[in-house]
Amino acid sequence: MQVTTWKKLLSVAVLSATTAVCSAEEVTIYGVKSLSGSFASYGKFADMGSKLAVEEYGDLLGSPVKYEAIDTEGNAGKAVRKVQEAISQDGALFFNGATLSSTALAIGKEVDKAGGVFMTPAGADELTGTDCNMATFRWSVPTYGAIHETVEPLIKAHPEWKRWYTITPQYVFGEALLSNAEAVFEAEGIEHVGNSYHSLQEQEFSGYLTNAMAAKPDVLLLLNFGGQSSNALRQAVNFGLKNEMKILVAWSSGLDQLQELGPDVAEGVYFGAQYWHTVETPMNNELVKSVREAYDMAPNYPMAADYIGTKVILDAIAKAGSTDGAAVAKALEGTVYQGPTGEETVRAADHQVLKDYYLLEGKAASEMQDEDDFAEIISSGESFPDESSLDCTRS
Amino acid sequence: MSLYLFQALNGIGLGMIYFLISVGLTIIFGLLNFVNFAHGAYYLLGSYLCFTLVSLTGNFWLALVVAPVAVAMLAWVTEKTLIRRAYHLPHTFHILITLGIALIIQELSIAVWGPIGKTVAVPEALSGVFRMGDFFYPKYRLFVILFTAVIAVGLWLLLERTRFGALVRAGSEDAETVSLLGTHIHKLFALTFALGVGLAGLAGVLAAPIRGVHPFIGPEVLGLAFVVVVIGGMGSFSGALVGGLLVGLVQSMMTTIWPQGASLMIYGAMAVVILLRPYGLFGRA
Amino acid sequence: MNTSKKQASIFSGVTLAALAAVVLMPLLLPSATLATEILIFALAALGCNLLLGYTGLLSFGQAIFFGGGAYVASLTMIHLGFGLLGALFAAMIAGAALAALVGLLAIRRTGIYFVMLTLAFTQMAYFLAYTLSDWTGGDNGLLDVPRPPLTLFGFEISDLTSSYAFYTFVAVMFMLIFVFARRVIHSPFGTTLVAIRENEGRASAVGFSTNHFKLLAFVISGGITGIAGALYAMLLNFAPLSNIELLMSENILIMTIIGGTGSLLGSLLGAGSIVMLGDLLSSVWPRWMIILGIALIAVVLFMPSGLWGGVESLIKRWKERRSGASEKAAKEAEAK
Repeated sequence: MQVTTWKKLLSVAVLSATTAVCSAEEVTIYGVKSLSGSFASYGKFADMGSKLAVEEYGDLLGSPVKYEAIDTEGNAGKAVRKVQEAISQDGALFFNGATLSSTALAIGKEVDKAGGVFMTPAGADELTGTDCNMATFRWSVPTYGAIHETVEPLIKAHPEWKRWYTITPQYVFGEALLSNAEAVFEAEGIEHVGNSYHSLQEQEFSGYLTNAMAAKPDVLLLLNFGGQSSNALRQAVNFGLKNEMKILVAWSSGLDQLQELGPDVAEGVYFGAQYWHTVETPMNNELVKSVREAYDMAPNYPMAADYIGTKVILDAIAKAGSTDGAAVAKALEGTVYQGPTGEETVRAADHQVLKDYYLLEGKAASEMQDEDDFAEIISSGESFPDESSLDCTRS
Repeated sequence: MSLYLFQALNGIGLGMIYFLISVGLTIIFGLLNFVNFAHGAYYLLGSYLCFTLVSLTGNFWLALVVAPVAVAMLAWVTEKTLIRRAYHLPHTFHILITLGIALIIQELSIAVWGPIGKTVAVPEALSGVFRMGDFFYPKYRLFVILFTAVIAVGLWLLLERTRFGALVRAGSEDAETVSLLGTHIHKLFALTFALGVGLAGLAGVLAAPIRGVHPFIGPEVLGLAFVVVVIGGMGSFSGALVGGLLVGLVQSMMTTIWPQGASLMIYGAMAVVILLRPYGLFGRA
Repeated sequence: MNTSKKQASIFSGVTLAALAAVVLMPLLLPSATLATEILIFALAALGCNLLLGYTGLLSFGQAIFFGGGAYVASLTMIHLGFGLLGALFAAMIAGAALAALVGLLAIRRTGIYFVMLTLAFTQMAYFLAYTLSDWTGGDNGLLDVPRPPLTLFGFEISDLTSSYAFYTFVAVMFMLIFVFARRVIHSPFGTTLVAIRENEGRASAVGFSTNHFKLLAFVISGGITGIAGALYAMLLNFAPLSNIELLMSENILIMTIIGGTGSLLGSLLGAGSIVMLGDLLSSVWPRWMIILGIALIAVVLFMPSGLWGGVESLIKRWKERRSGASEKAAKEAEAK
């Protein structure tokens, strides 16, 4: 932890020399987590996930793996500066985490310069697109898959839902979801009856919902995420939209968001999710068990994402048999492994992990089997832009 | 019913909530000449207390009474112990001390209620919607408009027709007159601060079923309250009402006209008002 | 005159203290990047202090100049191929120009209305930066900001890639600006600013055009803050949108006030303590901001002249005691 760094400074020269020698053997993985600041709801569980992965791992290259959390304070600038510090002071090479797209993009650049490896579950498509690099790997399914695995199955199952309305946050991420959705609408012959853009800070959605009402759609597609999608959905339910149309939240954060919303709001609403704890895969069964033992809860998305993100890096170090960043990155490329969502593949071309995305439907309170049983999986699958159309041009 | 007409109705609904958020800030500023940067945090606390009371008792009406009173009591204690000692200092220190209080409330809320947001259900009796042609409006939001209107009238009576109100108004216009009251002024200040903050707590309770509860809502609420109060005129009750309605209407209309620009418009309007009418629409120099 | 002589000695003493801090920081702190961040925010606090501490203007607009400086430096380096000093100069001009614009409008109002105007402008600037995402990168931030080598008259002095080299450069910039700010404060212009702060009515009655002075203070503050923003972008190789948020203004203000308004060393102390508090506590206790909140309240109640004020009164007390002790010793010696 940070404190140890601070203690070191008491005798700077001597100690830093010795740590340099030691760290050649020991593997330390750095978790970039928003522990304090406005994304604390995410960072706390992400940190728990990474810790668990490290604790379970045991020895690597002959000594126990060490874990250090770097608190981003919810601020991209602080995050980058602390990552620089870890790189220059401790020779850090292996990083996992980052919630915010801006933080992840900038850290990816720093870790690339240092020749390390960085695995992130952040949302920006640029991570494996225009801003891809040797160091950056991404676990989360891009916007393309999030739309294809939610909008398409709903259209297939309910061809009578012809009219769709979208509410989109106006910035890169929202635009990416929207353009993917428009492409699907076009291909499936769906009428896109309207779209409302809103700003990044918006928390009041009644005006947009009114616009949506006026367009009389069959489905309302929410393309915002986090607090904004929670508020938009909550207010949509207040406005009784659930009785008038179906609602799909394409990019939900999964269990933690459903815990926040509760079954009254979530019932009958569709959610797209990167992970859901009831997935029946060998690794997920293990994960659910060990999280239950360690933390007495069901794993949520940030926890599962950073658990597997950390574990995958450690496995790659073992496979490479060294802590050389380039060798570990090479070892990661093309790896096929058992992840929480089943068999997952690290695509060599753009460092995107190929994995399932889920479409959930919220359950009524009376149907819930246990306190976390908010939704059932109604479809899942892999959708990725194919390799010929990637934006990633990495040398 | 045309879309714009409905947006206007919706804007009035929003405006009433904004009035409630802002009126406490303006009353406190008017009498105490004190800028309360913790206003949003007290709103947050009202929301969280509402959540806890509703999940413990299942009774929203109980929360509607108890939570604002509890927030007001906390404010009264804070005034006695901390705020009072900063009155004689410049605005800079008012901002600093209330920023400190806001940070503490926000972080303690995360420690108590966790970092994940909460949802408060709309009370049973008010769930559902009213249909108006092609549109529907939640019964609960309609209730909020009516309830806030009642509160507004009550507040107006309190300020215009009671001895307490007379003192507050006199103090807002001329602090020296009131200071002739001697020791009573402490009591008056504490009560006014508690009242203003209690109103923020009430706004938090009423907004909880609409907005949910999230630990970082404070600064947003505070920003909005500033805009309303500055547009209406700091210290002016009617200014808060008109300012709140104006901001609500602009915001609602903008969602149909130019949504991305809503916040630009709101803050732009605030800047223009300060430059053209320095004391707001209803303020006095 | 005795007082002017005393002032001169304070001048050199304070500058020496700043120099000592700047030299010791990278040795005492865990990393040069942390020390660099502290100096950058100390510069921003210094800029804020010129407005708040010496002119009495509480500005929530500092993020506009900080973020503006960061964007302009980054964009001139990326698109126009500006070098290190050229980009810093551009950032300074941008910060000063933005400050002139904000100042021109804001100084027409006083007190809380002034504060609210600067707050509104920051919100509008944030919106602008977020909307012009083709230039600023929007919410993703402006990536791939270079850190060009330091060249003077065609000679490359340092490539600045190592964190210590960049720290040294930032430290030199800091000292130059620190000395410049001291000069400004002790010039007739500076004393006029203080006169305006103390009693604006009287200052204008004496014949000063107070608004011109306030505007100039704004321009200087904006220029310094713009440089700070540019250095921050060069440190991070990245200009996040959060540079231009209201929260950034709030942080700069908090650093300034905690450190002590009206004392330039206070700005260094304030920036240092706030940055280190976050660095030290955040990974130990995620709710560390409770301590920040308590510190803010404590400063208002017990240390209104900030940390530096506290240090000064300690020094004074220590000196008094020592002189008291030596007098006592002298008397005792006499008695013998």
